[in-house]
Amino acid sequence: MRVRAGQDFATGILFAVIALIALYIGADYPMGTPQRPGTGVLPRILSLCLLGTGVFLIGKSILFGDVAMERWVWRPLSAITIATVLFGLIIDDLGLVITMALSMSIAALGASDTRWREFAVFLVIMMVGSWALFIWLLGMPIPLWPVRVPKFLTFFFG
Amino acid sequence: MDVFSNLALGFSVAVSPINLFWCFMGAFIGTAIGVLPGVGPVATMALLLPVTYFLTPEGALIMLAGIYYGAQYGGSTTAILVNVPGEASSVVTALDGYAMARQGRAGPALAIAAIGSFIAGCFATVLIVIAAPPLTRMAQQFAPADYFSLMLLGLTLAVVMASGSIVKAIGMIFLGMLLGLVGTDVNTGNTRFTFGISDLFDGVGFVIVAMGLFGIGEIIKNLGDPERRDLVSSKIEGLMPTREDLRRSAMPIARGTILGSFLGILPGGGGVLGSFSSYSLEKKLSKTPENFGKGMIEGVAGPEAANNAAAQTSFIPMLTLGIPSNAVMAMMIGGMMIHGIVPGPQIMEQKPGLFWGMIASMWIGNLMLLVLNLPLIGMWVKMLLVPYRLLAIAIFFFCAVGVYSLNNLNTELYFMAFFGLLGYAFIRLGCEPAPLLLGYLLGPLMEVYMRRAMLLSRGDPMVFLERPLSLTFLIIAAVALILVILPNIRKARQEAFQE
Repeated sequence: MRVRAGQDFATGILFAVIALIALYIGADYPMGTPQRPGTGVLPRILSLCLLGTGVFLIGKSILFGDVAMERWVWRPLSAITIATVLFGLIIDDLGLVITMALSMSIAALGASDTRWREFAVFLVIMMVGSWALFIWLLGMPIPLWPVRVPKFLTFFFG
Repeated sequence: MDVFSNLALGFSVAVSPINLFWCFMGAFIGTAIGVLPGVGPVATMALLLPVTYFLTPEGALIMLAGIYYGAQYGGSTTAILVNVPGEASSVVTALDGYAMARQGRAGPALAIAAIGSFIAGCFATVLIVIAAPPLTRMAQQFAPADYFSLMLLGLTLAVVMASGSIVKAIGMIFLGMLLGLVGTDVNTGNTRFTFGISDLFDGVGFVIVAMGLFGIGEIIKNLGDPERRDLVSSKIEGLMPTREDLRRSAMPIARGTILGSFLGILPGGGGVLGSFSSYSLEKKLSKTPENFGKGMIEGVAGPEAANNAAAQTSFIPMLTLGIPSNAVMAMMIGGMMIHGIVPGPQIMEQKPGLFWGMIASMWIGNLMLLVLNLPLIGMWVKMLLVPYRLLAIAIFFFCAVGVYSLNNLNTELYFMAFFGLLGYAFIRLGCEPAPLLLGYLLGPLMEVYMRRAMLLSRGDPMVFLERPLSLTFLIIAAVALILVILPNIRKARQEAFQE
């Protein structure tokens, strides 16, 4: 389908915004001399190239039309993202078992066809397997059970 | 010549029991993920990178390589039996392979696919053995300027070969290179784009970027777009192809092998391009092109040989020049970097056991796949019964644990969540993530070579044009880019005029 602002337009905006941020941050990086190019040379060149690509895409989309963006499906997006962040927040403190139960359940919320009974069996198998592989065989320094109240909770609730 | 002593050394490394085990594991895991649609070799290799930390460098690379060519084998199984390509490279195999399966000839189709892949794999391995030493010797003569231009050429060809929009692929490369610069500038000690976060001073980890873009991003997409999986696991009777099948497949396998071997060497090539080109070649050469898609064994034999040959020859630029030609090779380089090995022409001299061992393992792995796969097909088909809703959760968990296991840093999980979001956004925006990964790897290297070249030339940028090799690379890059962009401009103009 031809539309005015679609994939190319959005990509162009994304590229241009990132490029402008990079240019802003990199503005005071030393440029050095031609013989000894400094920290800022390649970032400056790349940011300008990226900006050019972004502007080109925006222009192309406005002048020649664009392809409609595919629909974003928010449910798996938010579920998997939250599950990943949560994993990082609690793994140190709550240990493997609780972290797996919480993060994988949240991730499972992202699938529209999750069958919870099946998922429970799967979760238990995964827990036993992970304990055997990561803690028993590979000896990774991850606690199995909770050791303390998670840092981020103590941050919020004193 | 010393080709044989090299190979002997390689085999002595590859047949050590532990390396045989890793070769088997790689081929086995590769076949499994090849069979499963929605799980690609890139994501799997990213997932297993943290595990390779526990292995020897030889074991790690042997296993990673096994995953790649194993996936090519597995992908064709799904394509033939279920009409769903397990991998992108087996899309064309599904056309005639599935048609054969519906006619009750799944066995011969699978057997020919495996035999074709095996022959192609053997040939490609020999090609690597022959081509690697001279290429390496050539690469050792390169000055920094030549290297810089070669990398530019590699990136350009990756763009040219990329599916989809070229402009977007170029943008993704710039973005990837910028991403590669995050962290401490090794030459000057200044930090760049770290936002003051100390965990970014060493840069964004390769595993985090790869897992986020290819692992997390992919499962978000696949969970959102429900797949259809017609489980028409037809009965497989009689695996052995007839004499007639073998006769008809011989030439397509030979042609596919040569075509694939050539296309695999080019940056951005690899299995997908090889199989598509071979299919159209066989269709053109056939006396009955109208029968293609209705169960022609040539349409299985050629592409399967081509994609396996291409999968293996794409190791050549990675091993000899240290330049990744596609996302899979980027993973291989990631695997080397985890073990502190700097990819490049020096590997062959400094680590001959690793270099030749990996090559020898490819041949052994191919043999294992041939012997293992055909009897095990029933098991692979059963694996298709594992629903994606569970598979996705397992992948998510392995990504999370994998990243955490690298440095025990919680922040790296937040970074991975970010790259997962970004990966999903790229899919929705129609941007291929592979060029970004190549840019990420090559960007910092190009900066190093640029600085060395400028230092040697006393600040004269003409050095890139004055050295004949460097100039040649730049000219090829420019020509390739122009050749691809020109028809695009014409097409866009035509479309604009029509509206």
